[in-house]
Amino acid sequence: MAQVQVKFTTRHADLKVDQVPILVPLELKRYGLSEVVNHLLASETPIPFEFLIDGELLKMSLANYLTAKGLSTESVISLEYVKSIIPPLFHSSY
Amino acid sequence: EYHYAGSQDYYRSFVEGRAIWQEHELSTRDLANSLCEQLRLILEPTLATKMRGDFRTGKRLNMKRIIPYIASQFKKDKIWMRRTKPSKRQYQIMIAMDDSKSMAESESVRLAFETLSLVSKALTQLEAGSIAIASFGENFRLVHPFHQTFTFEAGVKVCQQFGFSQVRTNVKDLVRQSIIIFESAKNLPGSNASLETWQLQIIISDGICEDHSTLQQLVRQAAGQKIMMIFVIVDALGDRLKKDSIMDMNSVQYTTTNDGQMKLEMTRYLDTFPFQYFVVVRDVIDLPGVLSSALRQWFAEISQH
Ligand SMILES: [Mg+2]
Repeated sequence: MAQVQVKFTTRHADLKVDQVPILVPLELKRYGLSEVVNHLLASETPIPFEFLIDGELLKMSLANYLTAKGLSTESVISLEYVKSIIPPLFHSSY
Repeated sequence: EYHYAGSQDYYRSFVEGRAIWQEHELSTRDLANSLCEQLRLILEPTLATKMRGDFRTGKRLNMKRIIPYIASQFKKDKIWMRRTKPSKRQYQIMIAMDDSKSMAESESVRLAFETLSLVSKALTQLEAGSIAIASFGENFRLVHPFHQTFTFEAGVKVCQQFGFSQVRTNVKDLVRQSIIIFESAKNLPGSNASLETWQLQIIISDGICEDHSTLQQLVRQAAGQKIMMIFVIVDALGDRLKKDSIMDMNSVQYTTTNDGQMKLEMTRYLDTFPFQYFVVVRDVIDLPGVLSSALRQWFAEISQH
């Protein structure tokens, strides 16, 4: 399974995680990444997150994002996470 | 037939390559001497001789052979042991350096070149066998073959061929191709057929590689063909900035539970690292020590078989 190094950053002071890169599967999308951050936070009730790369909302898998931007798995991707404002009900449908 | 460098594979001019090689050869000179001395002690066969069977005449009886000897009506008469001298060995050592983009951070490049020059210098000084150098990333390339002498000019040429711009790090391909090259190197003209050939690979990389389980099988296959692989992880960022060290890195995997659910698992990256012998180097000063202790460990292990 192909992987890429990611680094998670956030502006939510109370939801910060370690800055050390983590190798994650390339096929992860918003939901999977959200699960990883929640795992790092060890949160009791999962918080849904949205992810930004270079200020742009991630709407596809990391693999598709890298392809679209002509990037390789050789660099570390910096992902900024923000609490999702989309209702959870809507989330479950995609 | 392997891909040898054509002019399009040169990333640096001769002058630039010479400057890099000269600088690193000079800065690692004392360390190369020290590594060479440590390797000499490890790689040279021990002088102590062993009693071995089975001979018709000798110094000491081999007790295991006595009962078969009697049972065979004294026909199986190779019941004596003699002192035998250890056979001389020749080494074939391939240094493979990661040419992928993830290495391109200036501190990593420096540390990688220092490691390359230190190791190749020490091995040349040792005069224990022949040296090859390979580059890997998306494509594997032999940038210096076993049958050529590794001179200063050869070092410059090697330097010219590293651009650290390959967009993949295919370690599986590296191991597969290396096995093939080592296999064919056994019959190289110029290698002394009367000597025992030992093959060793030293991989220099930042250590980020995928598919650990397949890699582990390949490394085992190499070990089965008596090719030893030592992975030197250059962890340039780990020390200076006290962050981004490979030692702290985690990896996310998914496993399927009994009820068919995918379960997220986070493991320490190095816990599943597929190379049994690996060392993490943050400063080239540490290299002679860690490299020779890995080799010593390997020798201790194979001498038990
Ligand atoms: Mg790489």
